[in-house]
Amino acid sequence: MGFMEKLGLNNREKELIIGSPMKGEVCPLTEVNDPVFGEKILGDGLAIKPLAGRLVAPVNGTVGMLFDTKHAISLISEQGTEILIHVGLDTVNLKGKFYKSFVKTGDKIKEGDLLLEFDMEQIKAAGYDVITPVIICNTAAYSEINPITGKRVEELEKILIIKK
Amino acid sequence: MKEIKYVIKDEVGIHARPAGLFVKAAGKFNCMIKMKKDTADVDAKSILGIMSLGVKKGDEITITFDGSDEAEASDTITAFLVENL
Repeated sequence: MGFMEKLGLNNREKELIIGSPMKGEVCPLTEVNDPVFGEKILGDGLAIKPLAGRLVAPVNGTVGMLFDTKHAISLISEQGTEILIHVGLDTVNLKGKFYKSFVKTGDKIKEGDLLLEFDMEQIKAAGYDVITPVIICNTAAYSEINPITGKRVEELEKILIIKK
Repeated sequence: MKEIKYVIKDEVGIHARPAGLFVKAAGKFNCMIKMKKDTADVDAKSILGIMSLGVKKGDEITITFDGSDEAEASDTITAFLVENL
């Protein structure tokens, strides 16, 4: 991050808009049936009920960590926003089954790059909820995190406005 | 400065849920807390930081505490590890 950006000289620079990493229905985190997300222990954000088994990069940045189990990925945007996307609940237990990754930890990514594909029907059939929390892990670095919920979105459609 | 070592027993290691709970526990203390695996060390109050270590079952982690409330933090985190990981 450059010196001018750090100073946050005007509102335009302070505000970041994040697009949807998947096609789906956007809902508040409180609707997620898992206290780690619902009680915002990992940070504030929103959740998406996916309508297609594709996850794309919502920002330009770097892959912070792709779990071996491919069910969750963390991204660090060029502006320093730490984003965790967790595809499904308790899906760590699937050990990578039904998930396919297209990036690895440390890769540079551009908005829209394909990160993961997952088989929604198989994951559901195995007894898991596919709802996908999208969390800003460094929530404390921002004054406002405003999810735009209650609508159906395409990939990269605006879902989150955050302010420093 | 206090230091503890712990070998992870949980089947899936430190994934999102334990990372969140760990950071919540660690965040209550003022002292600097670091988690180390092999040669990499990270701020243990950062969720993405500790997830980035990719800690799995059987891995040994070292946690250091440095600051005025280090003794209490070390006790709390030890209890957390035994209970959750």
